[in-house]
Amino acid sequence: MPLPGDPNPLLLAPFGAAIGLIGSVLGVGGGIFVVPVLVLALGVPMHQAIAVSLAAIVAASSAVASVNVERGLANMRLGVTLEVTTAAGSICGALASGSISHRVLQITFALALFPVAAAMLLKSRSSGGTAAVPPAEGPEGPAGAMDSDFFDPSRDSRVPYRVRNLAPASILSFFAGGLSGLLGLGGGIIQVPVMTLVCGVPMKAAAATSNFLIGVSAAASAFIYFRRGYLDPDLAAPIVVGVLIGSFAGIKVLYRAPAGRIQAVFSVFVLAVAVKMLWTAL
Amino acid sequence: MKERSDRSLGKLIQRTLQAGIGLCLTAFAIGFFLRMSGSDGAGSFLRAGAFLLIMTPAARVAMLAYGYGRAGEYRFAAASAAVLVLLFISVLL
Repeated sequence: MPLPGDPNPLLLAPFGAAIGLIGSVLGVGGGIFVVPVLVLALGVPMHQAIAVSLAAIVAASSAVASVNVERGLANMRLGVTLEVTTAAGSICGALASGSISHRVLQITFALALFPVAAAMLLKSRSSGGTAAVPPAEGPEGPAGAMDSDFFDPSRDSRVPYRVRNLAPASILSFFAGGLSGLLGLGGGIIQVPVMTLVCGVPMKAAAATSNFLIGVSAAASAFIYFRRGYLDPDLAAPIVVGVLIGSFAGIKVLYRAPAGRIQAVFSVFVLAVAVKMLWTAL
Repeated sequence: MKERSDRSLGKLIQRTLQAGIGLCLTAFAIGFFLRMSGSDGAGSFLRAGAFLLIMTPAARVAMLAYGYGRAGEYRFAAASAAVLVLLFISVLL
């Protein structure tokens, strides 16, 4: 189906690259940018825009995870555990997308993001984005199955951490998945704070693990949109190619930048998203 | 031991994701070429590329289930299998 304005693939690819770069560093899918640009600038119908956004999130997640799992930055055990409730939430969200008021949802979500942004900023200043809960070993007891560590080049050392509060994190992940299906977001904007603030995972590992798992929630919703014929491949393909290029570039930034700075940028990003959502909804 | 199995599983997941991305990009490249040359079938290749892309996380989850099952980490194998079932449900919906 031809789109209004017939978007040029050569313009869509750089847009996708910018989304991929931001997403891979911050652990978010970038859906918050993709949907409004497609709807407002290109006149793409909302459901088609959400479908393209979900495909872009899957692309970013797959590209970033393919590197971060091998480096040990993404915590696969934590990721797959949170994926269970995230995927369930994502399916519920996609099914309910026609029956829930997007305006009410956006206002509620935006208001919830303000304290999240503040907490992330405070934590970035107090701990520099590193682990609040070190792993317990030896006389203090065995390390948990999800406890892990990774090498941080910006500190030139390994960063060990313990994963805690998995039950509340799983419940919150259900809502993150629900947002993916309802609004075409990756859910990383919830997953990263959940992992850092609730589970005690350092920022870099949280961003990498978020990127690892948001692909599944986005794919769960994307299947539904694909089957319903909303995913326009002519529009999705150039954006996906751009996202892949940007994501691979962003991995280097995530690996080398100081964790505290990434966390501070993330909190500003959350604040910007909250303001933008509130502005759109009101 | 755990570190070695993690590294080997990490490699498996990396190869799975790279294969998915590679297949998707190949289909897109053929689709773009056909579209520019005005040939038929461009839409089918672009659609196939999009489908391969959204299948990639499912393949990755299947590999996780296999890898954790083989390593005897049945808790994570079960979690991966549950995610796979949920993805299958989403395909049917």
